[in-house]
Amino acid sequence: MGFYVRFWGTRGSIPTPGRTTHRYGGNTSCVEIRFDDALFILDGGTGLRELGVDLMRRPQHPVVAHMLFSHMHWDHIQGFPFFTPAYVPQNTFTIYGATSGDRRFHQLLSGQMRSEYFPVDFSALHSHIVPSDLGELSARTLDGVLVRCFVQRHPGGSFAYSLEKNGHRVVYATDNEIDLTLPDPSVVQRDLLAPRAIPSEFIEFCRGADLLICDGQYTEAEYPSKVGWGHPRATTVVDAAVQAAVKQLAIFHHDPMQSDDDIEQKIGDCRSRARRLGSDCLIFAAREGVELRLDTPLTP
Amino acid sequence: MLPSQDDHADHMTEEQLVPLLPVQVYARPHVLQQIRGPLSPQIIELRGDQLIIGRNPDVDIRIPSAALSRHHLRLDKYQGGYRAVDLDSSNGFFLNEIRVSSAALRDGDTIQLGNAVFVYHEGK
Ligand SMILES: [Zn+2]
Ligand SMILES: [Zn+2]
Repeated sequence: MGFYVRFWGTRGSIPTPGRTTHRYGGNTSCVEIRFDDALFILDGGTGLRELGVDLMRRPQHPVVAHMLFSHMHWDHIQGFPFFTPAYVPQNTFTIYGATSGDRRFHQLLSGQMRSEYFPVDFSALHSHIVPSDLGELSARTLDGVLVRCFVQRHPGGSFAYSLEKNGHRVVYATDNEIDLTLPDPSVVQRDLLAPRAIPSEFIEFCRGADLLICDGQYTEAEYPSKVGWGHPRATTVVDAAVQAAVKQLAIFHHDPMQSDDDIEQKIGDCRSRARRLGSDCLIFAAREGVELRLDTPLTP
Repeated sequence: MLPSQDDHADHMTEEQLVPLLPVQVYARPHVLQQIRGPLSPQIIELRGDQLIIGRNPDVDIRIPSAALSRHHLRLDKYQGGYRAVDLDSSNGFFLNEIRVSSAALRDGDTIQLGNAVFVYHEGK
């Protein structure tokens, strides 16, 4: 029982195994969220494979989960064909990732298992896979958890999700180029240290969350050559977290070119920025294999 | 540049039979280096599939401090290293200053349990 968040994949774009990424991990986006007995899986990047192995070992069977997809880029769906629990007949997975009437999402999720790409057909997934949708993007309650979504700036679009129960809340916002939504982007050119006003809709969506898991792929130095690629400066995410007064910020979707040392440098820059902005928000790099419990005090 | 063919052409090189001796591999264990709190400094070698840290006399790694729970943290052998799991302790498990409930440990991680602080060193 309790409210848990566990990172199974925190890398952006493509898996990056190897010695230089050992600490933060090389698997792509996958986060497990548990509110008491309710299980949510956010994205199905390559981290989903290991989550599947772990779910098979747990005593709770059958496995019943809501799978919320941010969007259908490879690094968010590629683990799905390797998700062992999806092959077990007793299990049930309800899949969300598009508004009502939008069939593309389910076509793409199953399309990656066409024989040209993968040896096993989607029909071999013997679990009960229920294609659902996000309706008209209004809030809904799933297994007692209030789920809301938010449309983000990303090539092809992407959704952020907010999950809330008993006054505790986590926001998952990946593949989100917040820098392109700034009402006054010139402020960054004029002064890198100046506070960056973030659009109020996103701030209200994140307001007061116990944890904001947010795409923070690029450093200040990397971003200028990647404008329009769909990911923000990590430092801009700090401004969002500070303005929304979230308690903890997990920088997520690390760039495949970043080593563990690079990620630590990026997080150091984010923490300095938060301090300069007068915030005590706890900032860390989302790291594979780490689980947080969010209904306990955050400080000793 | 093409690789030199010298070695192939050189019939003067004497052939040697190198005996394959049994090689003994010394494994270096994973360790916790306690840097703060009662009993520090100390180096604790981690052996076994499961270890409990706490203040109770029956635990594997005992830290005599009221700031620790009786059974505070469990270390499980996991993928060649250890995974640390908070046992619903009162004061929590802080990994690199963030409160977590469990984590696969990595070289250089700082673990704080009450007033005891450890650094985890991966072995080989
Ligand atoms: Zn992505
Ligand atoms: Zn994307």
